[in-house]
Amino acid sequence: MTTVWDYIWIVQLLPVAGFLAQALFGQRIIAMFGPAMGRRICGAMAVVPIALAFVIGVFVFYKLTELAPDQRVQISTWFNWIDLQTLRVPFELRVDPLSLTMVLIVTGVGALIHLYATGYMATDRDYPRFFTYLNLFIAFMLMLVLGNNLALVFIGWEGVGLCSYLLIGYWYHDIANAKAANKAFIVNRIGDWGFVLGIFLIYVTFASSQAIVGDEARLLSFDVILPLAEKVLPTFGPAVVAAVPILLFIGAMGKSAQFPLYLWLPDAMAGPTPVSALIHAATMVTAGVYLVTRCHVFFELSPIAMLVVACVGAFTAIFAATVAFGQTDIKKVLAYSTVSQLGYMFLACGVGAFYAGMFHVTTHAFFKALLFLGSGAVIVAMAHEQDMRRYGALRKYLPITHGTMLIGWIAIAGIPPLAGFFSKDDILGKTFASSHYWTEHGWLVDPKILYAIGLITAFMTAMYMTRMFWLTFLGKEERWRESAAGVSDEHAHHEAHVHHPHAHAEHEDTHGFFLSDDEVLERERAEHEAEHHDVLTPDHQPKEVVPSMWLPLVALAALSIVGGLVLSGGYPFSELLHWDTQHLFRDWNAIAAAPTLLPAAEMFHADHMTEWILIGSSVLAAILGIGVMAFQHRLGIPKSDREITGLKRIMGAQWGFDGAMYKTFVDFGGRFSQGFYRWFDKGVIDGLFVNGSAWTVQSFGKLFRKAQTGYVRSYALTMLLGVVVILSYVIWKTNR
Amino acid sequence: MSLVIWMPLFGAVFLMLVPKDFVAVHRYGALGISILTFIASLSLYGAFSSGTFHFQMVEAIPWISGLGIQYKVGVDGISLWLVMLTTFITIIAVWFSFYVGHRAKEFMVYLLVLETAMLGVFCALDLVLFYVFFEATLVPMYFLIAIWGGEDKKYASVKFFLYTFLGSIFMLIAIVALYFISAEKLGKGTFDLVALQSLAAQGDLAALPIQLWLFAAFAVAFAVKVPFWPVHTWLPDAHTEAPTAGSIILAAVMLKMGAYGFLRFCLPLFPDATIQAAPLLMGLAVVGIIYGAVMAAVQHDWKRLVAYSSVSHLGFVMLGLFSLTHNGFTGSVLQSVNHGISTGALFLMVGMIYERRHTRLFSDYGGLKRQMPMFAALFLIVMLSSVGLPSMNGFIGEFLCMLGAFQAGFEGRAGIPLWMPVVAGGGVVLAAVYLLWMFQKVFYGRNDNPENKRLRDIKPWEQLLCWSLVLFVFWIGLYPKTFTDEMEASLNGLRHQVLQQPGLRPQWADTSIDVNARGDVVQASNRDPNNPGNWTQGKVLVPADHQVRSEQVAARSERE
Repeated sequence: MTTVWDYIWIVQLLPVAGFLAQALFGQRIIAMFGPAMGRRICGAMAVVPIALAFVIGVFVFYKLTELAPDQRVQISTWFNWIDLQTLRVPFELRVDPLSLTMVLIVTGVGALIHLYATGYMATDRDYPRFFTYLNLFIAFMLMLVLGNNLALVFIGWEGVGLCSYLLIGYWYHDIANAKAANKAFIVNRIGDWGFVLGIFLIYVTFASSQAIVGDEARLLSFDVILPLAEKVLPTFGPAVVAAVPILLFIGAMGKSAQFPLYLWLPDAMAGPTPVSALIHAATMVTAGVYLVTRCHVFFELSPIAMLVVACVGAFTAIFAATVAFGQTDIKKVLAYSTVSQLGYMFLACGVGAFYAGMFHVTTHAFFKALLFLGSGAVIVAMAHEQDMRRYGALRKYLPITHGTMLIGWIAIAGIPPLAGFFSKDDILGKTFASSHYWTEHGWLVDPKILYAIGLITAFMTAMYMTRMFWLTFLGKEERWRESAAGVSDEHAHHEAHVHHPHAHAEHEDTHGFFLSDDEVLERERAEHEAEHHDVLTPDHQPKEVVPSMWLPLVALAALSIVGGLVLSGGYPFSELLHWDTQHLFRDWNAIAAAPTLLPAAEMFHADHMTEWILIGSSVLAAILGIGVMAFQHRLGIPKSDREITGLKRIMGAQWGFDGAMYKTFVDFGGRFSQGFYRWFDKGVIDGLFVNGSAWTVQSFGKLFRKAQTGYVRSYALTMLLGVVVILSYVIWKTNR
Repeated sequence: MSLVIWMPLFGAVFLMLVPKDFVAVHRYGALGISILTFIASLSLYGAFSSGTFHFQMVEAIPWISGLGIQYKVGVDGISLWLVMLTTFITIIAVWFSFYVGHRAKEFMVYLLVLETAMLGVFCALDLVLFYVFFEATLVPMYFLIAIWGGEDKKYASVKFFLYTFLGSIFMLIAIVALYFISAEKLGKGTFDLVALQSLAAQGDLAALPIQLWLFAAFAVAFAVKVPFWPVHTWLPDAHTEAPTAGSIILAAVMLKMGAYGFLRFCLPLFPDATIQAAPLLMGLAVVGIIYGAVMAAVQHDWKRLVAYSSVSHLGFVMLGLFSLTHNGFTGSVLQSVNHGISTGALFLMVGMIYERRHTRLFSDYGGLKRQMPMFAALFLIVMLSSVGLPSMNGFIGEFLCMLGAFQAGFEGRAGIPLWMPVVAGGGVVLAAVYLLWMFQKVFYGRNDNPENKRLRDIKPWEQLLCWSLVLFVFWIGLYPKTFTDEMEASLNGLRHQVLQQPGLRPQWADTSIDVNARGDVVQASNRDPNNPGNWTQGKVLVPADHQVRSEQVAARSERE
């Protein structure tokens, strides 16, 4: 029987259809309609499914709000994916406020970014390939947030990692991009290792407890495990209770770029900017926060795990903020800012304010996507130069970009009443207020310390974002005019690469494997033309971007203005979304029938006076941060930014962490394995034992040279003789 | 049944009669025969019933009656898929071997003879018959490597032959020993697996020390085949030097003969020894997973890298197998099939490029993605299935294997420690390291080699070969139920055969019992002779008990 909840499958399958259509027909359409028209069609084919999914998502959401709060979990099952006697994993989607919130972010912001990308990638020759990956990403991301069991979440989890890998390495001609892509995938896999072990641990505990009756082997499904977590896990002792959430959190650390697994995210900026906005800012990297929130019952059972989450979050937040100061690449600043903001979200989860974490996920999706897309517009306008030191005074050339980025900037800095203020203040406030609860429950770290770290980070965020904004848009210097064009001879360099085929007479091409010389030349010419790159010259005149690019900017700017206000408490929409503390805890738990272990009201206890002081101090931190940086930049680019030296240099190099990791694992690990292969596999096992014994046999064989012919047939003869002897013995023995 | 096994051999005889100048006849003839065999094996699948753990379609003819040696063949849910895999992969191998120009007739004949031998291995239910088939696979493969191999073919082929041959000598001794033991217990010696298992089920076959010896003798033969670390070094050489078809068959089918041997012989015949040996073999599997992956990561030769990746992937198969859990068993058999498809496809595609460029060194490649987009896309899919990406086949197998191992470790089953599956998980990370590195080396970057600039994309029929494998990549990845449904009864029977007390172990010889859909051992009556999976359930004799408590197993191994 189909119900309205089954419509969620349409949401899930639309991007899949978009992906398939793009993959199968994309190139053909371009070939048929020519590059300009073909790209327009492909672009539409990419945007429409996502936009449509958004519309249906809104409809389903609307239907969900019509239900009573304790009814708001609906599951729609399709068919069994893994179906064993011991484990059943259906394809089942979960419709509840949390998953739909994520769906709306993913499809809504996703559709805007798709639209933007049609403009951004307009001249790229692999246009369909880009949108193939992008649609596939949306499909996996939806699977991640909608899946009602850990295995489906894991499909999405690794799937988005795959798309991230493909899109970071999208411009694979530059081997550095390919390496960044590998790094992202591998570091994520380390996190996934933890995640999978967490899944296993959940499975074995639930499988061997007798709590689940009947033949229901859906031991990974949320509606089965979440309500029983409190009953089942403690019977296995505190180690298991702590291990489950910590293992899940290791997975979240990989995907959401928490220290020390954040390493891949800055490198991931090698991908096209829409990818950075969609995957590495708005959606995929928040999957970890989503996972922790989805499995919050497991976390709440273990104060140790909560402490780990909160501390890792707080540390990452401040660590990444320091690194952002030392960056000159506009996208790298935003990347570290993302890492830092993700730290905030985990801080919120760690102190038990899961809804605040999700609130920040939402507002962050708005303003960070906006900032990334804005930076993309700047990059396009500046002939793909990403060094902020070569920008300056762009506000008069790029009015729309400037205006929207301005909103993004003050939104992330935390100026009321923009979106960032509400969510960030919520996190800081809840961190402070949870203090007495957690210290009573045996935390070693007083959340007030975490609050202080959070506040300092807020101050620093305001500072480095101001630095970025100032260097890019404000000031009077148009610094690209100062620099000499040093890269222009790159073109000539490529010229030399054009290969002049010589005679290939030595290989006769009987199978038709090879192109003719003319075809090779033709291909190289096409290649060469497509690789023509813009170069930022001193007489460059920046132009505002096309409407398909600035329209999403405007939409996101609007969301960044009102998003926080609308979704925070006390307004009609928030009632609808149930993001009030009380609502969140009451609803999710009532729905999932999973009792909250943290009494919500008691936990975040703060009187009105304190609340106002907290709000005041976070606003003050934001204003101070902006002020300090504005003062520093009042006379143009500071000296410490022209040449990155001293502390800034150390900070910019991630305090040496990335380098150390690279040296240890890639350099040393590679050389060690290489040596081990030569010495052990080739030397000891193969050399000493295998060939050594062969050599010994051979030496003996020299004594019996006649018998040892070295031919397998004579060995076979020996074997035959042996069999005959054994069989004769057997016959003799039985007939005795 | 016998038709499937012997059809390729008859085909080979037929081809031998055709003069060698008719190359087209040999090529299309061999292809036709392999396709016919595949169709015949499909009818096996059609006739197969998933409702019983007993052997089906059994054919038994006395062979050397004086010694009780029979020609006895049959399939169950484990061997069924390996038979299907064999017939399917052989089509791929034969078709791709159209490129073989040098002594094409002999090449095709060897391939078909090899197919019969491999099918025989998976169907034989008599130990001597099994041994004969097991050894018979060596000969054609030896010649494939020695005649059509790469530069170092002599060394590789002799190494391959001696290594595996040496291993199976021990098995032969154990087989003979089993004959004498059965002669003592039954009054008349037998090599019949079913009869021997009945003895084992009652605990009459052998006491633990002797069981351990026999187990070890069989295990050596199979361990070399799998291959277990540290007896793996024949594999990189043989895979690398073999012609493409040889590599495909070696990886896809012949390695599975090791895993299959454990499942078919070691576990049911020596259950007590299996429990004793499980931690050790699991440990070796974990070492193999990590070791193979690390070694793969440092190779400069494309085929060698894939070969070492096999060492790592087969480690997962053994990990699942010796977890002695339902999840682990299922994962193990499924991963055997998966590895056949994924690694078979990898070797196939490496073969395609080797056929064109005659080099396997990464340093000769780079930037091929632009040059050969379809090839790159297909290779990407296959590579990712080998990485174990969810929604593709590799994931299901590895996930279940590790889940089973984790379960065993968590419960302390058979004394398996928990760190083993945890460490094995690192193999999945390393798989990403070496496979992505491989992909980057070949396909990413700039295409600077003038030789590579002349490459056309792969041809339509080559694409078809790849797509047919990719179909199974997604089929198993998205709907593994097709495959697991057929296995479950047999694997449940096997699990009970290993883990239950003597006397409670279900016997293949006793058709009045069976396993039901929950995994319980039950009384079965009214069995339909035409459809052995159709029977009426009676009393539950042994409950499924998927979660064997560690105390039970510990108490058991102590008592013994």
